[in-house]
Amino acid sequence: MSAHMLPEDDELLAAELAFGLIDGAERDAAQARLIRDDAFAAAHARWQDYAAAMFHDAGEAPRPSVWTAIEARLPVNDDVRPAVSRATLRWWQAGTMAASAAALVLGVLVMQKPAQVIVRVPVGEAPTAPMVAVLTGKQGLVTVSFDSASGRMTSAANGLDLGDHAAELWVIPADGKPRSMGVMNASAPGWARVPQPAISALSAGVTLAVSVEPIGGSPTGLPTGPVILSGKMATTS
Amino acid sequence: MFSENDHATLVLMLKRVSTGDRAAFEEIYRRTSVKLFGVCLRILPVRQEAEDVLQEAYLSVWQKAGSFDAERGSAMTWLITLTRNRAIDRLRAKGRITTAPVELAVDVADPQPDAPSLIEASQDERRLAHCLGTLEGGDAVLIRTAFFSGSTYADLAERASLPLGTIKSRIRRALLKLRACLS
Repeated sequence: MSAHMLPEDDELLAAELAFGLIDGAERDAAQARLIRDDAFAAAHARWQDYAAAMFHDAGEAPRPSVWTAIEARLPVNDDVRPAVSRATLRWWQAGTMAASAAALVLGVLVMQKPAQVIVRVPVGEAPTAPMVAVLTGKQGLVTVSFDSASGRMTSAANGLDLGDHAAELWVIPADGKPRSMGVMNASAPGWARVPQPAISALSAGVTLAVSVEPIGGSPTGLPTGPVILSGKMATTS
Repeated sequence: MFSENDHATLVLMLKRVSTGDRAAFEEIYRRTSVKLFGVCLRILPVRQEAEDVLQEAYLSVWQKAGSFDAERGSAMTWLITLTRNRAIDRLRAKGRITTAPVELAVDVADPQPDAPSLIEASQDERRLAHCLGTLEGGDAVLIRTAFFSGSTYADLAERASLPLGTIKSRIRRALLKLRACLS
């Protein structure tokens, strides 16, 4: 390893910089050296990895209001309407509802047999009611909830490990043409804004599916890998 | 815990954020805010303050994503370092870099993470915790104190009422031992 080729003093300087032990002119000089000395920069990167590993806690979810505040402070651009913060707030409330609905469905599923899922689809729901789907198939289990008021979905996966591939979520309406809902985070529950073409295709009873795609999602806009999970969307009450 | 897949995704998302892609930014927040909030809380235990710093950290990510260089380190380390620095800046701005005396006797027990708290830790994190554990008690305390409270050699010397040279050589010895254990 190149680590051992660096003189001891340089190795220590890289460590001192990474751990914040030096300041003033000494620190400035070390920082300047990162730019012109690749071996020194590599040693520093390694020490930064060690330093970052000092934070071994799993962490903790910040309150949703933190994201709302961050989003509100981003420079305004064209696709941000003035009502954005209120809409975001509504999303969080609705999202929580949808998430608990999804959790409820999941809870029921865990108690029953998850192989084949029949979710009752209530008729005559208000069009803005959150929708949920449970996707089952070859590997793992995915729950998706969608809040049509904000165009956002939450998703959570269990037992889905695709290695160096991504799990992309699709909505397949009656016309049979898949529209991408985005790439899922297979390792933690998360949320995302759903692209407009997919939003228009979402309604109770449509099929959702997960396909295996390259990192970052399908390059063609259509599924390129095998579909491993599918399920139907249902509205919640 | 982060897989290779997660790392590759983060690198890709940072690249997109550098072009002003908000969806990619949201994706990064989604994937990393739990870990980074933990970083803030470790340095600033008051939640309100930790949340403020988390906000500032992500705004820095938004502005500086273009300066991340995947050739020069991991995306997660970049995010953790940036967040830690913001938290330390906050301590420093308020003149709160602690000046409390630090006890460095060799027999001082290092408050090592207990096994249950390491269950969720990554392999790197477990290895580091193990190697810190092999240092003499006072040395691990010194390194942790420096890193989590933003204390430099000079601050530590003052807090331990020891000459700067003594502190320096002691920590440098400990860092070399740490490297030997880690490599």
